[in-house]
Amino acid sequence: MGASTSIRRIATLGATLTCTAAALAACGSSSSGSGPASGDPAKPAKVAAVIKGLDNPFFQTMEDGIKAGASTAGIDPTIQAANSITDTTGQADKLTALAGQDFSCYVVNPITGTNLVQGLAKLAAAKKTIVNIDSPVEEEAAQAAGATPATYIGTDNVAAGRLAGQEMVKQITSGEVAVIGGTSGDVTSGKRVEGFTSGLSSSVKVVQEVAADWNREKALTQATTVLRAHPDLKGFYVANDDMALGVVRAVENAGKTGDVKVIGTDGVEEALTSVKDGGLTATVAQYPYTIGEMGVEACAAAAAGKTLPTTVNAPVELVTQDVADQALKATPKPFGDYEDPIADLLK
Amino acid sequence: MTATTVEAPPAPPAPARSQRLRDPAFWADWAALVGLIGLTIVFQALNSTFLSYGNVQSILVAAAILIILSIGQTFTIATGGIDLSVASVMTFAACAFGWAFTQGWALPLCMVLAVVTGLVFGAVNGALIAKGRIPDFVVTLGSLSAASGLALILADGKPTTVISPFLLKFSTRGIGLFGWTFLLAVVIAVITHVVLFNTRFGTHVLAAGGSPEAATATGISTARIKIAVYTVSGVLAGLSGILLVARIGASSPAADTTMTLNTVAAVVLGGVSLLGGRATIVGPVLGALVLTVLVNGLTLVGVSQFYQPLAVGIVVVLAALLMRFQK
Repeated sequence: MGASTSIRRIATLGATLTCTAAALAACGSSSSGSGPASGDPAKPAKVAAVIKGLDNPFFQTMEDGIKAGASTAGIDPTIQAANSITDTTGQADKLTALAGQDFSCYVVNPITGTNLVQGLAKLAAAKKTIVNIDSPVEEEAAQAAGATPATYIGTDNVAAGRLAGQEMVKQITSGEVAVIGGTSGDVTSGKRVEGFTSGLSSSVKVVQEVAADWNREKALTQATTVLRAHPDLKGFYVANDDMALGVVRAVENAGKTGDVKVIGTDGVEEALTSVKDGGLTATVAQYPYTIGEMGVEACAAAAAGKTLPTTVNAPVELVTQDVADQALKATPKPFGDYEDPIADLLK
Repeated sequence: MTATTVEAPPAPPAPARSQRLRDPAFWADWAALVGLIGLTIVFQALNSTFLSYGNVQSILVAAAILIILSIGQTFTIATGGIDLSVASVMTFAACAFGWAFTQGWALPLCMVLAVVTGLVFGAVNGALIAKGRIPDFVVTLGSLSAASGLALILADGKPTTVISPFLLKFSTRGIGLFGWTFLLAVVIAVITHVVLFNTRFGTHVLAAGGSPEAATATGISTARIKIAVYTVSGVLAGLSGILLVARIGASSPAADTTMTLNTVAAVVLGGVSLLGGRATIVGPVLGALVLTVLVNGLTLVGVSQFYQPLAVGIVVVLAALLMRFQK
C-alpha cells in the first residue's frame, strides 16, 4: 500500500515538475478545479480530461470543445495536456496523477495507442468511466490492462484521407502527386496517407512520399525539393494543415499556384482562410471541438445511467473554395449537419 | 602573451601538396568540404537536376537558418560549452516578432524585438553559466524548455500569419543564384570569422575554451567571455527567428527540436572540437550545407523517408571519426 502511495506521489511530482519546466504553458490553461476537495456531490459527473499537446492548435480547439460541452452539462472539468505532441511519458504521468483523484469520468486522448495504459488500468480497477476520444487506445493493450473504454469518439483518419484522395482525383483527373507526411512512423499520418492512397483512381499515382515532421518550415523545404524532382507534379496531399500551408508557400515560390493542387487535413482557421483565398486547394476538416464536446457529453450520459454506443464517428467535411466562407463562419464547429448519438441520449 | 593553445584554421601550405594530401589531418580539417563534394558528385550522378540552377538556389536558401544558428553554436562550443536552446530561442523570437506584428508595430521594430529577445535570452544563459556556475548543458537545457514555453504562452499556442511584401521578397529573391537570406548568412559568416580570428575577443574565446586555467592566469575573464558567446548565440538565434518568419510567412510556436541537434552536428562536421579551444567559422558553415544537401539530395533521388535520418546519422559519425586524425 505504502509503495503505491509513494509511486503516486512521485508521479504527481513528476507531472508538477514537467509543468514548471514548460513554464506552465500546458498547465496554466487547465481549469482551476483540480483539487479533489472542491468536489460537489450534487453534480452529475466529475470529469477529468487528458489530451495531447497544446502546442498544436488542433488540441487547443479540442480543449475549447471540452469546456463548451462541460458548461452546457453544468460540469467543471479538469483538463490536463501533454507538453508536446511527442511527450508520451509526460502525458502518462498526468493521467496517473489524476487517476488517484475522485473524478467519476476520464476523457482521454492518448498520444500513442499504448502510452496511457498504466493509468487506464488504474482507472478500470477503480471502476471509473473511460471515454476515449480522437486517438484510439490500442485494443489489445486495453484488454491486457482490463480497461476497455466505455466509448470511442473520433474521426476515422483513413476516411478523412480517402476524402482527400477522392477530391484530388476530381481536381486533376490524372497525373503524378506527392505526399508530405508528419513524423516518419507516426500513426495518424500513416492512416491519413493510407486513406488518401486508397481514395485515388488508377490514373493518379503517388510518385513520392516524404516526412516533414509536422513542421511548416520543413514541409516548405521538402516540397520545394519534390517539385524539383518531379517537374510534372500535379498535386500534394499533406497530412496536416500547418505543413500544407508551408507546401502552399513552396508552390507559390515555384510560380505554380493553381497548376499544383495542395490538399491539407485538419481544417484549422488559417487553412480555411487560405482555401478561401485560393492558396490551399482544399482541406479535410476534422472537428476537434465537436470531439471534445461529445467526450464530455458522453461522461454526462454515463453518469445519468445511459448506455454509450461503443463507437461514435465524429464529423469529417471536405472544405473547398465554394464552401470556405461557410466553414470559416462555423469554425470551430462543423458547417454541415452531423449525427450526434450522444447528445440524443441526453435529450 | 596571447594564448598559445589557440589552433589556427588550416595552416599555410608549408609542405609539398602531395605530402599534405597523404596526411590524414588534412582530410580531418576539411571533412565537411570533402563530404560536400562527395555528396554533390553522388547526387549529381543519380539525378541530373541536383546541380540545376533552381535546386542549388533552393538548397542555399534552405540552409540559411541552419548556417546562422550553427555559427552561434560554434562560439559556445569554442569555449567548451554548448547551447541547446538555440532552436527554442529562435522559435520564441519568431513568436515575439509575430506578437509585435499583430500589435501593429512597424516591421523594423518587430525585427529589433526579435533580435533583442534572442539577445536577452542569450545573455541570461551566459550569466547563469558564468556567474551562477551551473554547467552549460544544464542551463541551456532549462532555457530550451523555458523558451518554448514562453513561445507557446506569447502566441497562445497558435501560429500567427505575417503578411509582409518586404519579408516575402527577402525570403524569395536575391542576387542570381544567391537568395538574400543566404547572402545574409554569408555576411554573418564573414563578420564572425573576422571577429574570431582578427580580434582580441576572438583570441580570448579560443583561449578560454582551450585552457580556462591558462586563460584566467593571463588575465582573461572567462566569465565575461562565457556571457559574450552565449549572447552572440542568442542574437543569431533571434536573427534566425526573423528569417523563419520570412520563410514560412507566419510565426509558429511549434517547437523544432531537431534543429538544435542539427546545429551541433553542423559544428562537429565542421571540425570544431567539442572540448573547446579549436574552431573555425567556415567549417560549420560547410557542415550546415552538408546537412541541407543531404536531405535535399535524398529527397530528390527519392530515397524513402525512413532512410533519411539513418543517412544523416552515418554522415555525422563518419565525420567525427575522421576528426580523430586532427592534430
